Amino acid sequence: MSGPDTGHREEAAADLAGRRAEPGGDLAGGRGAPDGDLAARQTALVAALVAGAPLPAGFAPAPVEAARVALLGKRAGEVARHWPLLAAALGDAWWNTFREWADGRRTNGSLRDGWDLARALRERGALPPLGAEELATREAAGRYDGRHPPRPRRLPAAARAGGAVAIQFAGRVRLLRPARR
Amino acid sequence: MTGPSGVGIGWRPEIAGFVAELPGLRFVEVVAEAVPVTGPLPPGLAELRGRGVTVVPHGVRLSLGGAEPVDPARVAHLARVAELLDAPLVSEHIAFVRAGGLEAGHLLPLPRTREAVAAVVANVRRTQEQLPVPLALEPIAALFDWPEDELDEADFLREILDATGATLLLDVANVHANARNRGGDPVALLDRLPLDRVSYVHVAGGAERGGFYHDTHTDPVPPEVLDLVGALCARHRPPALLLERDGHYPPAPALRAELDALAAASGFPVVT
Repeated sequence: MSGPDTGHREEAAADLAGRRAEPGGDLAGGRGAPDGDLAARQTALVAALVAGAPLPAGFAPAPVEAARVALLGKRAGEVARHWPLLAAALGDAWWNTFREWADGRRTNGSLRDGWDLARALRERGALPPLGAEELATREAAGRYDGRHPPRPRRLPAAARAGGAVAIQFAGRVRLLRPARR
Repeated sequence: MTGPSGVGIGWRPEIAGFVAELPGLRFVEVVAEAVPVTGPLPPGLAELRGRGVTVVPHGVRLSLGGAEPVDPARVAHLARVAELLDAPLVSEHIAFVRAGGLEAGHLLPLPRTREAVAAVVANVRRTQEQLPVPLALEPIAALFDWPEDELDEADFLREILDATGATLLLDVANVHANARNRGGDPVALLDRLPLDRVSYVHVAGGAERGGFYHDTHTDPVPPEVLDLVGALCARHRPPALLLERDGHYPPAPALRAELDALAAASGFPVVT
């Protein structure tokens, strides 16, 4: 299920849905089970599964919760494929770390999810050395403002994370110094 | 451009080398969204086509069951992949994967209502108009039901197939998972499905976790699913069966053993 990234149009639409999916929003609210409004019912269900909205009326809570956790697990696996060193460095803690961070947060795609998580871990001093090296390498190669899809850097650049230093020149990235261990 | 036949396997880049060395293989499936429509075919796939192996594009992100119209660009991509692979048919799911622009990240079940039947039928027809080949529809595995269900699974599927002329891609692991998680007798469901309209069958592994059976595609095929393959073939053997594996790939001998078990359960020749 790892299809290609779907681009800006869906992202803009997701912003809209993200606002709709706020708890208490019209479509995601837990009240009523309207007939004949498949679009609204589908939107409310997806919002409950991936964006932290309340469970729509009428659904059995335990099976939907199991589906929600399974979706998070699938997402964790996809992010791990994009950030193999980060996931490997966290080892057994990967799933709980990812779940804690991702729960209720809608995805921006696996690349950005992993990038955002790595930055969050760096901020609270919890980024393991291999993950720091992966983050430094990514930041030397690409420009990412946290709000838009990352873009390749065209000018030479250096990036640091957890003592790791990576440089990029003419599109080639090298880890100059490993992270503190 | 012959239809799926015998025992096949889902082609994935991670196991391309393994798949390339299966001497009796006549049929694989590829995730349609993973096939680029500009530039060359992924290495391995082109080689299989060169050997005359049938490659069926399998879409996972059309969201045919979405209340909104299917995205024409996604349909165009699927149609182009079918042409590039000279495929005899393509397949997709009776499911939705996004709503209101929010991506679910996986296939979600539809309410079994007339309104949902109408939504699927409209999207399937829009898709069929653009496709160069027939479309097979796959019912999914789900952990939960919608509260507003009006039809049972067999009637729901039959209404969709009758209205669209699509064939059935029957996933016996999904039949097992749904019976286990949502209730019902899996063999009784087989008896109510139009087995003469099955284009091919999916078989996959899964695992019990937290009181539910999860159709993971990353675990071995359990005996219960192989038993269902036997029950299906005793009623009406489909033209082809395909093993789906999507990660946590086992060593080659274990994967070969799973393909051999499928051959044994169905009576098709071994492909390993």
